[in-house]
Amino acid sequence: MTGWAVEAAGVEKRYGGVTALKGVDLRIPEGAIHGLIGPNGAGKSTLFDILCGITKPSGGRVSVLGMDVAALPAHHVARRGVGRTFQRTATFRDSTVRENLLFASYGRMRHSVLQRMARAPAWREDMAAFETRADAVLETCGLAHLSDQPAAALAYGTQRRLAVAVMLMNDPKILFLDEPVAGMNDAETAEFIALVRDIARGRTIVIVEHDMAAIGALCSEVLVMVDGAQVVSDTPERALAHPDVVAAYLGTDADD
Amino acid sequence: MTDITTGAPAGRARGGSASLKGAGLLALGIAAALAAGFGLGGDPFLLNLAGYTCGFAIFALSVNVMLGGLGEVPLGHCMFYGIGAYAPAMAMNHAGLPYEAGVAIGMVVAALIAAPIGWLTLHLTGAYFSIVSWGLSGVAMVTALNLDVTGGPLGLFGFSRLAVGPFDLSRPQTYFFVAAAILLAVLVVLYHVRGSRFGRAMEAIRQGPHLARSLGIDVFRERLKALVLSAPIAALAGALSLPYTQIVTPEVMSVLRTVDALLAALIGGVGLIFGPAVGAVIFTILPQFLDLDPNVKVLVFSLLIILVMVAAPGGLHQLWKAAAARLSHARKGDAP
Ligand SMILES: Nc1ncnc2c1ncn2[C@@H]1O[C@H](COP(=O)(O)OP(=O)(O)OP(=O)(O)O)[C@@H](O)[C@H]1O
Ligand SMILES: [Mg+2]
Repeated sequence: MTGWAVEAAGVEKRYGGVTALKGVDLRIPEGAIHGLIGPNGAGKSTLFDILCGITKPSGGRVSVLGMDVAALPAHHVARRGVGRTFQRTATFRDSTVRENLLFASYGRMRHSVLQRMARAPAWREDMAAFETRADAVLETCGLAHLSDQPAAALAYGTQRRLAVAVMLMNDPKILFLDEPVAGMNDAETAEFIALVRDIARGRTIVIVEHDMAAIGALCSEVLVMVDGAQVVSDTPERALAHPDVVAAYLGTDADD
Repeated sequence: MTDITTGAPAGRARGGSASLKGAGLLALGIAAALAAGFGLGGDPFLLNLAGYTCGFAIFALSVNVMLGGLGEVPLGHCMFYGIGAYAPAMAMNHAGLPYEAGVAIGMVVAALIAAPIGWLTLHLTGAYFSIVSWGLSGVAMVTALNLDVTGGPLGLFGFSRLAVGPFDLSRPQTYFFVAAAILLAVLVVLYHVRGSRFGRAMEAIRQGPHLARSLGIDVFRERLKALVLSAPIAALAGALSLPYTQIVTPEVMSVLRTVDALLAALIGGVGLIFGPAVGAVIFTILPQFLDLDPNVKVLVFSLLIILVMVAAPGGLHQLWKAAAARLSHARKGDAP
């Protein structure tokens, strides 16, 4: 490996007449917690989608964990260690917390329908490995006591932790979090920050967030994007003090 | 409850109770079939109808692999039912093959045709998938109407011997027992499919295709597998209609057949393994008792669907579930 979890250069994305990304460069060292900030419509989620192989870039080069993600289907990218949560929180709402994790273990399981019917060793091993891993992940994410709750019934902040738990089942090497603390109260945010620190060991984390306190608490470096272009990449303190960033945020604060 | 709904042994403690419950339901099904088989008092008409209903229930189950499993409305599924009905008819009438061989051929052909059809249509979702699938079944119907081997508009009839091994399906009671046994077998298979890795992938895709994909699930491939699994089940259902109908005409591929199965699944509950089968029984028995005109039947069932959707959006089984929950709640409340 190169030591870089993400290497992107000149990434462009056009949607018809709209240019969502205008040549973004991004390098994230392995093991870092990296921030990505910018006003609404800056192209942060679009960049996430490209890094996860869900959206294909219109131009530029993108390498994640050494993979050319632009050339791979999204499920391949996911299977090779790239996890992400969605801005509009996505969980399997009709199912319980534990079933959510069961769906998430798809990639770690091998048994066939026939092996399941025969209760063959392959099935039992898959299920035993799942139980062990699920228990550990539920513990980490503080969801152990909610294991049998339907996902849809969980409080909003808890659903966000479930979304992280679901991704942790696959033990991703890099995890993208799209506005994870949006809508959380201070206590929930503090808990979530602790969770991210906890799960950051041994993996790279990239966070899009409007909550600058959370960014400041977690990130070693942050990339600021405005209008599809990068403005500055620096420590959170210095990036936020940058005159262009101040201008961009003041400009949008008015309509928020 | 959730164990049955997802077929998943969700927890260590509940794994055993899920399979116990499954075995209990199976025993109940067998008992019900035996009671019906002997209880219908040897009335050949009712027994034949009951056998046909088992076939229809299997078709509803097949349709529900797509509806309850993937959240798609497979309007064109009647094509696979039709293939399943035509295959043994053609095998017997043109090739002198036994009925069972024709059934097997029909199931294989249905799966083989489902693969390319799925390849073409499953990139679409929602109404787009439904309409294209319906269109393809229309093509199949027109083909059956115009070919000689399918007997054109008159169809095929005058079959030699409808039998499965030693079981003569022209005897109404035998027909019913064989159809009921196959229905139970299909239920068992689908129960295990749901609890398997593949079944969970389907459920994940139904609930959130984007999240499923981000978890490494090949959404298109799993959807394709679901269609290729459900097509031979539909074909089996079509084949089981022969002892009752004694004829196959292009009509067998009418989209109304799919609509009937969809209604049955919705009434019985798409989230429950045996929901569509229960719905199919209600769907056949009710009009029989009320002696409904086919057109009135559609009206009655449409109204019934609306009522079910308002009172229990998950199907009738939700009402049972709610009732059971209330009962056990009351019992707990009474306990000191
Ligand atoms: N599928 C799409 N089709 C057309 N335009 C799109 C599409 N997705 C994003 N855009 C446009 O691209 C731009 C960037 O959107 P994006 O969602 O990436 O912004 P963002 O930085 O995540 O904003 P927010 O903070 O509001 O989440 C916006 O102008 C948006 O309208
Ligand atoms: Mg966004």
